[in-house]
Amino acid sequence: MDLNALFVAIQQILSTHALLMLLLGTGLGIVVGAIPGLTGAMLIALTLPLTFYMTPFNAVVLLVSMYVGAISGGLITATLMRMPGTPAAVMTTFDGYPMARSGRPGRALGLGITASFVGGLIAWVVLLTITQPLSILATRFGPFEYFSLIMMAMVLIASVSEGSLVKGLISGLLGMLISMPGVDPASGMPRLTFDWYVLNGGLQLLPVLIGTFAVSQIIADALDIGKVSQNSKVDSRGVLMSLADLRRHALNMIRSSFIGTWIGILPGIGASIGSVVAYTAAKNMSKTPEEFGKGSEEGIIASEAANNATVGGALIPLIAMGIPGSVIDAILIGALTIHSIQPGPTLFLTNADIVWGIIATCLLANIVMWLMMTSSVRYIAKLIYLPRSYVLPVVIVFCVVGSYALNNTLFDIWVMLGFGVIGFLLERAKIPLGPFVIGFVLAPLGEEKLRSGLMMTAGDITPMFTRPFSLAFTLAAVVLLVWPLYNDWRRRRATA
Amino acid sequence: MEQRTIAEIGVCSLIIIFCAVILWQAAKLPPGSFEPLGSAPVPQATAGIVICCCLIVIVRAIVQIRRQPPLAHHVRDELTGRSPRNALVMFGGTLAYVGLLQLGMLSFGVLTFAFLLLLIMTLNRFSKSSLLPATITAALFGFGIEFLFTRVFVVDLPV
Repeated sequence: MDLNALFVAIQQILSTHALLMLLLGTGLGIVVGAIPGLTGAMLIALTLPLTFYMTPFNAVVLLVSMYVGAISGGLITATLMRMPGTPAAVMTTFDGYPMARSGRPGRALGLGITASFVGGLIAWVVLLTITQPLSILATRFGPFEYFSLIMMAMVLIASVSEGSLVKGLISGLLGMLISMPGVDPASGMPRLTFDWYVLNGGLQLLPVLIGTFAVSQIIADALDIGKVSQNSKVDSRGVLMSLADLRRHALNMIRSSFIGTWIGILPGIGASIGSVVAYTAAKNMSKTPEEFGKGSEEGIIASEAANNATVGGALIPLIAMGIPGSVIDAILIGALTIHSIQPGPTLFLTNADIVWGIIATCLLANIVMWLMMTSSVRYIAKLIYLPRSYVLPVVIVFCVVGSYALNNTLFDIWVMLGFGVIGFLLERAKIPLGPFVIGFVLAPLGEEKLRSGLMMTAGDITPMFTRPFSLAFTLAAVVLLVWPLYNDWRRRRATA
Repeated sequence: MEQRTIAEIGVCSLIIIFCAVILWQAAKLPPGSFEPLGSAPVPQATAGIVICCCLIVIVRAIVQIRRQPPLAHHVRDELTGRSPRNALVMFGGTLAYVGLLQLGMLSFGVLTFAFLLLLIMTLNRFSKSSLLPATITAALFGFGIEFLFTRVFVVDLPV
C-alpha cells in the first residue's frame, strides 16, 4: 500500500480544479439520486461527454464523486416519498418512510446519512488495502483465466439479478451479442454489419448506455408523469447522530458495511442486492425483528450502510481486474477507455495517478457527501418535488447532446433512441437491464481473451480446466448456474 | 414478483427473430484463416443460447396463461392501466426533434427551445399557468445548452 501516492492524490484533488469537480460531482449526484426517475447511471452516462476535454484525473474525480453522491441521495426520496430515488435505496423505504410518517423525518434521514458515511468509509478502507494485492495476483492471469472469470461474472450477474436466472442470462448474452457487430478483433474484417458502413465501428458504448438507462427510464417515467406526491416537511432536528446512537448501532453499521463491501466486490452485483442482504442479516440478528418494516432504526442503518459500501467494494474488481462491479462501474470502464486508459491489473503500473485518484475521491466524496447532506438535506428534499413534465424533456435534450458528442454523428442519436425502446421493452418483460450493459462491456474482452488463448494453444481448450484459477472460476460458474436451477426444481417438486 | 406473460412472449419472440438474423449473418462469415476459432462461432453460440433461454421463457409464459385462463384477462392486465399518451408524446416528439436536427433547417438553440416549449406545454395539457415556466425552462436550457457546449466545453452540437 503506497500511502505516499494516496496523500499526493488527496493533495491533487484539493487543488482548485479537482476540488470543484469533487464538490460538483457529489452535489449533483445527491440531487439526481434524490429525484425519482433520475439515476446515478443516467447522470454519469450523460456527464461522460463533458469529460472529453478534461484531464483524465479530473474526469475520474467528477465521475466517482457522482457515483458516491447518487447512491447516497436515493435515501431522501425513499424516506420522504416511499419511492427509492435510486434502486439501491429500496430497502430504506421499508423503515425510512414509516419513521418519517410518524413525525421523525429528520431522524430517519440522519440515521441514513451517517450509516451511508460509515458504510462508505469502511468500504474505502477495504478498497485501499486489498486492491493492490489483488491486482498483483491478477497480473498472473492468462487469457483462459480472464475468459473464465468473465464467464463467472456473467453467470453471477444473471443469477442474482432481479427476476429469473434465465432472464438474467438473456439480458447479459443479448448485451454481448449487441457488442459484436463491427470490425472483428482478430481478423480485422467487418462482422455482422449487414454491409452497412456505419456499423463498421460497432455500436458505441455511450449511446447504448444512454439509451438503455436514460431514455428507457424517461419513457417509463412519462407514463407516470401526472402522479402527485405527498409533500413532507423536513427540519434539521435529529439529522446529526449522537455518540450514544453511534455506539448503539455500531455493530449493525460495521456488519452491514462489510456485507455491502463484499457484495460490491462480486462482479456485476450492485448496491440493491447489498442492501437486501444486509437488511435481512440485521433483521435476523435483531432483538426487535418485529419493528422491521414499521420504522426500525436498525433497518435504515443496515440498508444505507450496505448500499454505500458497495460503491467502494465494486471499485475493487474494476481497478484490480478491469471487471465492473456494478452497472455504474461498467460506465466508468467506458469513461477510462474514452480517456485512453486501459482498465485492468496493470493500471497500477501504467496509470497509478488515476488509480490513487479514484481511491482518494472515494474517501473525500464520502466526507463531502456527509457534510452536504447533514447541512442541507432540508433544501435538497425540496428538489424531489420538481414536476417531471419539466425535468424529463430537459433530460432528453441532454441525452441527445450526450450521444452526439462522442463522435459527432447523428447516427449515434438514432442508436440511443433505438436502445431506449429496447431498454423499455426489456423492462416491460421484467428482463433486468444491468446484465445487458455489463455483457456489452465485457463481451469484447471475453472474446479477445478466448481467441488469443486458443491461438496460443493451437485450438486446445483444456488449459481452461487444467490451470487452477481458470478451473476454479469455471467450476464457480457451473455451480452458480446449476444451483438456482436445482433449487427451482426442488421447490417445484415440493409444491407438486 | 408480478409476471407479465404477454410482454414476455412478445419481447422474447422479437429477441429470437434478432438472434436468428445474427445466426444467418454469422453463417456467411468465412472460417478463421490464421486462428482456430474464427469470427463466427462466438456470435453463433451466444445467439443460440439466447434463443434457447427465450424459448424457455415463452414456454413458461404459455404454461402460466394456460393455468390461469382466459387469455383476455392477461392481455387486459398488462395493456390497460396507465395512459401511454405522455410516453408517446415524449418519444414521438423526440423522434421529430432528432429528425429536424438531421435536416439541419434550424440552429440547435432555436430548435431545442421550440422542442422543449412544445413538449412541456403538451405534457401539461397546454395549461395557461405552465406557459411562463415552460418558456423560461425552454429558453434557459435551449440556448443555455448551446452556449455551454459550444463556448464553455467546446463540444460540437448537431446543426
